Amino acid sequence: MRLHKETRLLSALLGPILVLAACVGCSGGSADGGGGDQQANLTVWSWDGTVAKAVPGFEAENPNIKVKVVNAGSSTDEYTALDNAIQAGSGVPDLAMFEYFALPYFAIPGKLDDLGGFGAESLQKDYVAAAWNDVTVNGKVYGLPSDYGPSAMFYNEATLKKAGVNKPPATWDEYYQDAKKVRALGGNYYIAQDTGDPFFLLSLIWQAGGRPFKVSGNTVHIDFTDPGTTKAVEFWQKMLDEGLVNTKVTAWSDDWNRTLNDGTLASQTMGGWLTSTLPERAPHAAGRFKVALMPQWAQGDEVGSENGGSSFGIPAAAQHKAAAYKFLKYFTHDAGLTPRVAAGAFVPDTSVLESKDAQSKANTYFGGQKVGAVLAEASKSVATGWQYPPFFEWARVTYGDLVSKFYTTGKGSLAQILEEWKQRMTKYGNDQGFKVD
Amino acid sequence: MSLTASRQGTSGKAGSATSGASARRSGNPRRLYTVENPRKSVALTVMTGLFTLYCLLPLVWLVINATKSQPDFASSFGLAPGHRFALWDNIVEVFRYQDGIFSRWLLNTVVYVVVGATVSTFLAALGGYALAKLDFTGKRVFFFVVLGSIAVPGIALAIPQFLLFTRLGITNTPWAVLIPSFINPFGLYLMWVFAAEAVPTDLLDAAKVDGAGEFRTFLQIGLPMLAPASVTVLLFSFVSIWNNYFLPLIMLKDPNWYPLTIGLNQWNKLGSTAGNGALIQNLVITASLLTIIPLIIAFLSLQRYWQSGLSLGAVKG
Amino acid sequence: MGQAGRLDDVTPVVASSDTRQYRARAGKRSKKQIGLAFIAPFGLLFALVYIVPIIYAAYLSLFRQQLVGGNRFIGLANYRELFRDPQFWDSVGRVFWFTLVQVPIMLILAMALALALDSRRLHGTRFMRVSIFLPYAVPAVVSTLMWGFMLGVKYGLFGSVNNALGTDLNPFTPSTTLISIGVMVTWAFTGFNMLIFYAVLKAVPRELYEAAALDGANEFQVVRRIKLPALRRSLIIAIIFSIIGTFQIFNEPLILPSMVASSGITTHYTPNLYAYKLAFTGSQQGYAAALALVMAAITIAVAYAVQIRGLRNVFDS
Repeated sequence: MRLHKETRLLSALLGPILVLAACVGCSGGSADGGGGDQQANLTVWSWDGTVAKAVPGFEAENPNIKVKVVNAGSSTDEYTALDNAIQAGSGVPDLAMFEYFALPYFAIPGKLDDLGGFGAESLQKDYVAAAWNDVTVNGKVYGLPSDYGPSAMFYNEATLKKAGVNKPPATWDEYYQDAKKVRALGGNYYIAQDTGDPFFLLSLIWQAGGRPFKVSGNTVHIDFTDPGTTKAVEFWQKMLDEGLVNTKVTAWSDDWNRTLNDGTLASQTMGGWLTSTLPERAPHAAGRFKVALMPQWAQGDEVGSENGGSSFGIPAAAQHKAAAYKFLKYFTHDAGLTPRVAAGAFVPDTSVLESKDAQSKANTYFGGQKVGAVLAEASKSVATGWQYPPFFEWARVTYGDLVSKFYTTGKGSLAQILEEWKQRMTKYGNDQGFKVD
Repeated sequence: MSLTASRQGTSGKAGSATSGASARRSGNPRRLYTVENPRKSVALTVMTGLFTLYCLLPLVWLVINATKSQPDFASSFGLAPGHRFALWDNIVEVFRYQDGIFSRWLLNTVVYVVVGATVSTFLAALGGYALAKLDFTGKRVFFFVVLGSIAVPGIALAIPQFLLFTRLGITNTPWAVLIPSFINPFGLYLMWVFAAEAVPTDLLDAAKVDGAGEFRTFLQIGLPMLAPASVTVLLFSFVSIWNNYFLPLIMLKDPNWYPLTIGLNQWNKLGSTAGNGALIQNLVITASLLTIIPLIIAFLSLQRYWQSGLSLGAVKG
Repeated sequence: MGQAGRLDDVTPVVASSDTRQYRARAGKRSKKQIGLAFIAPFGLLFALVYIVPIIYAAYLSLFRQQLVGGNRFIGLANYRELFRDPQFWDSVGRVFWFTLVQVPIMLILAMALALALDSRRLHGTRFMRVSIFLPYAVPAVVSTLMWGFMLGVKYGLFGSVNNALGTDLNPFTPSTTLISIGVMVTWAFTGFNMLIFYAVLKAVPRELYEAAALDGANEFQVVRRIKLPALRRSLIIAIIFSIIGTFQIFNEPLILPSMVASSGITTHYTPNLYAYKLAFTGSQQGYAAALALVMAAITIAVAYAVQIRGLRNVFDS
């Protein structure tokens, strides 16, 4: 063991050089030793920074397991990296992070392990129903939900007041009326921004009852003409046509941060996880933002949808699966939740959502509002039955190609783009061996 | 170092320029004036100066903004200083962020650059020397295939390279970045041209008559004579490996092996990808500045070497 | 410095005549083996990094990779599909126009700057020469981040200009993004080309200018009759390398979309980007390999066409 320790120290100091010298032609990517029989060194790929907060507690409880949390890129970058690692047959992590839409892509071709073998099914009751639905593919569980994105409306109360709007819109009709009032302030004032974010449009469709993707085994049915989809698409088309939406500022860009900061963006309908990053992006707007349920399609309804959220799964090629599941359960279901929630994670575990802390804690950035209670309500109202096709990662990138034309030139319509999107997905899906129609 | 020599030659002649200036007044202007030290032109200086400004402006912007805190960066005019001078804080934070992974990236980059540039320069020297001074079958074919390969776009290679390296099991190891960087077709060409001209065959023959083997002759006589071209090839390999993005992007997925360029963009993406990523534009900008400083120092301090090597390549090319 | 001085005296000799002499003197077979041994390290790695991947790409291009059902041999179907693929031709068309506009602008600027520096009529020649070259040392990743931040529409420099003048200029709309990329690429590579031209001009024997001055030639005539012809060969090389470079534009369109809104950059903005997205987002590696090979063929064809045209011009004059 002494030797082992020395090697570690050396590799920390000389990392690349040492491995270069010692590792001529070898295939492993990591400088770790093989580890003893019970000793497991877990590698976890995550771009969610809160996961690392759960590690000290876990390692204290499980001295034989060492956890290394690595940021292998966000979203697409990570999926590409994971695909590459699986192809290469080396460097595959023991746990990886997947947005809900990406899970089927890895689950269907057998790149992820069915967690049923670890008894994951028994955890179903502890999560919000729609979140469990997100990690279930063809009836099997492939991941545990780690963060959640119930759609909610973050609104700048001061800006709305300035426009003469004294309470946040409860329905989309009110939203439309308020949008005109906000726009009447002139300048860069808008009630929303949108440059063709598929997840926003899909969250509207989801809430309106549209279910454009129906997946069963390798068969995918795509239809953007059902009544729910049509209602949502026509509404947003009207918002765009009347110039009520800022189409110049993309979410997550520098410009977006500034419109949030200076109050010209009156609201942002997005996943609940925006709560923790908003204070960082709009520090000057402290005390002005509030959270509400997303507006409803009919007065008195309480139907929600998702926008984002992710889970962790165990790749089929992972090395220490039992240990991986142990950690997975720890930080998504058990004691590991506490430090993560404290660090800003928003999770779909009912134990957390219903806890006294989440329900009654005042959030100072949001002017003392009990944000947790609002988001817990939003989580529980998320409609179920939504599915993503197994090639959605490809599809959303393609959507970006199609939609940019419309948002920048105003030519065409959302409905046309969705139709074109369907054709592209159909061709791609069939080329990939699925049955798509 | 022909260039250096000729530049020194000119500065030697600069003394006579003053006499040229007075000669002009005495009515015999042209010959003495235009050739070595003509009258300075303000219009030409201004025009060239404008282009210089275009070249320097982004760098000035980078330096100014590396001194701003994140809130200052988000709220102040790009070319104006922030409220607080935060350069040192930013630098400290760059090296601390994510458990100090920036220094790991820096170290990786240095290893990739030093190993890659050294090996590629040595292989190019060895090959260029062989092409110029030794005989072997298939030389012509070899030469044309290598030269033709310069025109093959990197992407045409990168994807099959990746798939091939996957088969060999070396993706996600430093070898995946290093091995392609060992080959520098243009360096081989430059070495060939240089060896053909700067290494006298008689000298090599003399060494061999004295009993030195071919390889020893190369090491002791050939290689030292190739030094000027070697510095040039070394430096340009240095830059291309330091700046490489595409290859490590597809070959590496463990952040512990990332070079600076990949790491930097990952940091930038943290704040611009949907989710709870941290907003660290001040660190991205400071890290960018730290990334380019070593290259700029290398170029400025080795100016006379690479400029002469470049001129040789240019004249012969 | 010693050998360098000698280099000036050596009249250019063609390498093959050198080796012929050499061969006459020494035993053939062992010499050949030694030559091969010298070239072997480069050759073997070259095969691994260039030849094998290209062959592998050709092999792969005959298959279709499927998420369900594994790989399927489809003959030349990928190529047939490629030639009918509007996205592919969109990307090729874009880099074609980009090349047609950006390369001449950049090279004319580079030549003009080289001539200006070489005229010795500038104040601060040395400073400007180094400053104009500096961007070459900045990694494309860093330069894209910098320009992306700098040109930010609402709050970047363009935002300030728009506020001050009441205009609505936007450097990143579908119709202007390509121009902005042109500005970045020109920024990065003008200095490099300028230095090559400058090196060539430096190598022109000063006596030629003296003689021209004696003949009463003015500055303009010197440029036309002596300097521009001297630049011809290196200009052809610069054109070829610039074409190869612009055909491979990748980093800018890959990184920009995370920096700016509605830039109109699609996944098929450039052939390289399209191949990358096909291979790594769409897992269509066979199709991507076919695309890469076709792009390689197009690039080589264009490079040869330029070379042949360029050389014919040389013979004409």
